[in-house]
Amino acid sequence: MTELHLTAPHLMHPEYQQENSMSVPNKITVKDLNFYYGNFHALKNINLGIPDNHVTAFIGPSGCGKSTLLRTFNRMYQLYPKQVAKGEIILDGDNVLDAKQDLNLLRAKVGMVFQKPTPFPMSIYDNIAFGIKLYDNLKKTDMDDRVEWALQKAALWNEVKDKLHQTGTSLSGGQQQRLCIARGIAVRPEVLLLDEPCSALDPISTARIEELIHELKSDYTILIVTHNMQQAARVSDYTAYMYLGEMIEFDITDKMFTKPSRRETEDYITGKFG
Amino acid sequence: MSTIDENRYLRRRILNAFNLTLAFATVAFALFFLAWILWTLLVNGIGHVNLGTFTQMTPPPGSKGGLLNAIVGSLYMVGMATLIGTPVGVMAGTYLAEFGRAGWLAPTTRFINDILLSAPSIVIGLFVYELVVHRMGHFSGWAGALALALIVLPVVVRTTENMLQLVPNSLREAASALGAPQWKVVVMVSYRAAKAGMLTGILLAVARISGETAPLLFTSLNNQFWSNDLNGPMSSLAVIIFQFAMSPYEDWHHLAWSGALLITLFVLGMNILARSIFHKGSHE
Repeated sequence: MTELHLTAPHLMHPEYQQENSMSVPNKITVKDLNFYYGNFHALKNINLGIPDNHVTAFIGPSGCGKSTLLRTFNRMYQLYPKQVAKGEIILDGDNVLDAKQDLNLLRAKVGMVFQKPTPFPMSIYDNIAFGIKLYDNLKKTDMDDRVEWALQKAALWNEVKDKLHQTGTSLSGGQQQRLCIARGIAVRPEVLLLDEPCSALDPISTARIEELIHELKSDYTILIVTHNMQQAARVSDYTAYMYLGEMIEFDITDKMFTKPSRRETEDYITGKFG
Repeated sequence: MSTIDENRYLRRRILNAFNLTLAFATVAFALFFLAWILWTLLVNGIGHVNLGTFTQMTPPPGSKGGLLNAIVGSLYMVGMATLIGTPVGVMAGTYLAEFGRAGWLAPTTRFINDILLSAPSIVIGLFVYELVVHRMGHFSGWAGALALALIVLPVVVRTTENMLQLVPNSLREAASALGAPQWKVVVMVSYRAAKAGMLTGILLAVARISGETAPLLFTSLNNQFWSNDLNGPMSSLAVIIFQFAMSPYEDWHHLAWSGALLITLFVLGMNILARSIFHKGSHE
């Protein structure tokens, strides 16, 4: 029952309770999260439960705080001195925001893929091996297997298997982004944060990555920020609508896009606003 | 329906032509003197560069000789200075770009480094004279190398910092997002991305010190004979040019011209190498 208590009040709807609480436990629970860029209050009292092994999409107009929220889950914000998060983010029972939380271990568990592809200036093989070597001491053959596994998972293996030792930057934009996804998967995280992963890509590459998200969700809890509402509707099981740093509505995607309970959400989704 | 204001357009074209002419004239002015310097060096130096220049020692006035001890001395001291100055400079630059984001230490260090960067080299020579030569009681190649290292240092600090700052933060974030500790992010990702620029900075620093004379006058002094002992006074091309060019002897003048030509070609070569490395690096 406590789990439900943590989701937004309108989710206490009996219909919803039955559907969610029975089948899907939460992987991540956000409690009273506030976030500040210096003096700017960017996230206001966010409460949210993110279901395990499902895709949750975050939508909302630019500047609403969806990327900021995503960056709290792996504490990416902590690279910058003036950014502060207050509240709790419970991942598998532990508070991620606790000062005692080891950042590197957290990030190994919560992977992230960014808006622009960011291949490292090294070979395709080393791009994948980089993350693995941080936590595993694998023999050469095991490493080869793991690299192949990750590239297979990211649907990139067939395109790069003959040029693994070429530099990662020589790939096309869509391939680079799949390389980044493969790199993220290779360290075997449990949660995958995708921050507008398709915004720099053409429609074909976007379709491939969406297919990929579909395949990956059986093994990972996926959180995706997107500007593209059709994309949110296509890939996600749950959708959160944010506006000006507040969580306006969170629900099953089908319901959000057909019968949202809040007027603001409907306005945004139907294009009257935003 | 818009019509073009003919007068306005004409005025803009005239202004454009005027400024363009001015810009070309400035470039031509600068290039003219550069070409003149190179031409003078070639005309006066090339005739006296031969095998002997590279195989014989600096001669007493009136006899034949070369520049071997000066060339070797320069290579020793420039090499040592680079070996001392580069690691320290790279580490300090790394601190400034990667670690010193908050606090007062980085801005202060940056400020002091800028002062060191513009410090007259003769002051650095005097400093090392006081610090090393005076205490050891004699001039030495080590003192010369140290003085040159102090000139290399701020250049390397500055270029390392600038080149690391050009590495997009998204790349650092991506590496951190995999759970890499910061030192690993710096060594494996930032350094790789900034490699070409950092190497270019080091080469330019080497080019810069190969012609320095003032700091060596106080430190390594000079040596008319063969020496590869860094503990004693050591010859260098720059100081030999200074000494020989000021002398009244014709054959010393010839050697000074040859030395000047060699240094200039070396510096030119370093610059071309630096450019080609940077060019290759940025197109990878």
